[in-house]
Amino acid sequence: MKIGDKFVIVLIIVSLLFGIFIQYVLRRNQEKLLVILSDGELFMKVPISDSTNLGPILVKSKEGFLYVIVNKGKVKVIESTCKDKLCIKQGEISKVGESIVCLPNRISISIVGTDKYVDTTSY
Amino acid sequence: MNRKVLIFLTVAIFILLIPFLIFYYVNYQNLHREIYSMDTIIKIDIWGINKEKIAYEIEKEINYLASLFDDYNPNSEVSKINENAGIKPIKVSDDTIEILKKAKEMYEKTGGIFNIMIAPVSKLWGFKDESYKVPTLNEIKQALTLTDINDLVINSNEVFLKKKDEAIDLGGIAKGYTLDKIKEIIEKNKPTKVVVNMGGNVYIYNTDPNRIFKVGIKHPRSNGVIAILELKSGNFVATSGDYERFFELDGVRYCHIIDPRNGSPAKALISATAITKQGYVGDAFSTAFFILGKDKALQLALEVDAQAVLIDSSLNIYYSESLAGSIEVENR
Repeated sequence: MKIGDKFVIVLIIVSLLFGIFIQYVLRRNQEKLLVILSDGELFMKVPISDSTNLGPILVKSKEGFLYVIVNKGKVKVIESTCKDKLCIKQGEISKVGESIVCLPNRISISIVGTDKYVDTTSY
Repeated sequence: MNRKVLIFLTVAIFILLIPFLIFYYVNYQNLHREIYSMDTIIKIDIWGINKEKIAYEIEKEINYLASLFDDYNPNSEVSKINENAGIKPIKVSDDTIEILKKAKEMYEKTGGIFNIMIAPVSKLWGFKDESYKVPTLNEIKQALTLTDINDLVINSNEVFLKKKDEAIDLGGIAKGYTLDKIKEIIEKNKPTKVVVNMGGNVYIYNTDPNRIFKVGIKHPRSNGVIAILELKSGNFVATSGDYERFFELDGVRYCHIIDPRNGSPAKALISATAITKQGYVGDAFSTAFFILGKDKALQLALEVDAQAVLIDSSLNIYYSESLAGSIEVENR
């Protein structure tokens, strides 16, 4: 095999990998993701669907911790160290764009995806 | 096929891919930041070049303004003004003077409905430290004597509250004012697109001024969205609701927004949204709309070139005529 052949083969493989990568990025963005941030830092990011069951998941921050469960794609906080318990009172979220925030613990739980029906929500 | 042609084609495809990837990264990958400040969560999404730098500048501005306005922080300028009520004037920074002047302007424009001096009455109801109670009429009457806006004296860069126990609370204007400052940073740096959500107060920006954003209004009684607004870049959206901070006693809901006319929680509406071109105006007006109720709020919106979306306790939705066609009501 000549040096030129090897060059071509390597380029083709790299291009293919790029193609797969782009496909992966685009497809990933079409999914519904459960994103949890603690103290403003990413804590976890997992794809969810209407059949997802997860948890209880322990989410820690510098201020305290809480437990999140996912039941058939519906996300809620079941236990929290915060005083006001607003995160528990907020109940379930399941649609892209919805979120639960525990201000005292500085933890946010959001559902994100590209098929969102709003850019943001005023409250 | 000729090997040279093959090499040329592969290299060409490869090189063409690189700008595509850069373009993708710059325009479709947004930077997402969440900041906890001013007693709320601030979510910032930025698309375009220089995302990190812009986010850093915004975060710095928020922290600076919070250090001036936060009345829970004993070292803030607002706390110092309150502490020295009836004692002595306090020298403060330009931003504090500016926001106080704007608060007075909003007091005038809303006929006294938006009043940052309502703090002693809010405190009486327990909204300041979550020690909720229903005060007696006499207590309310007494507290209302401490809410005269003319007792807030601004003299060049000094601020003085005339009577002891008087206090200011910028909770109804600080977020909007901060959004105005964030807007300045964004317009200076010109990223492709920005969405800032500051505890429910929203600012939307796109380099193309005609680009439409979809902004939801939270359902006052569930986690979903009750209506969707289609708005152009550059708008501010602020909502006041009875679901944010409230307590219930004997089946009655008492919310944190106090009507300065009677010193009691407002109850004409359960949610009021203001759409404006300036952040501080929207923040103050959503509060004023909430207190005024449907008819007067719609009237005021017309007078001041703002738009209103109002929801009453039966979940009826009323909105400014100019919003027809750009509002879609979701499930109730």
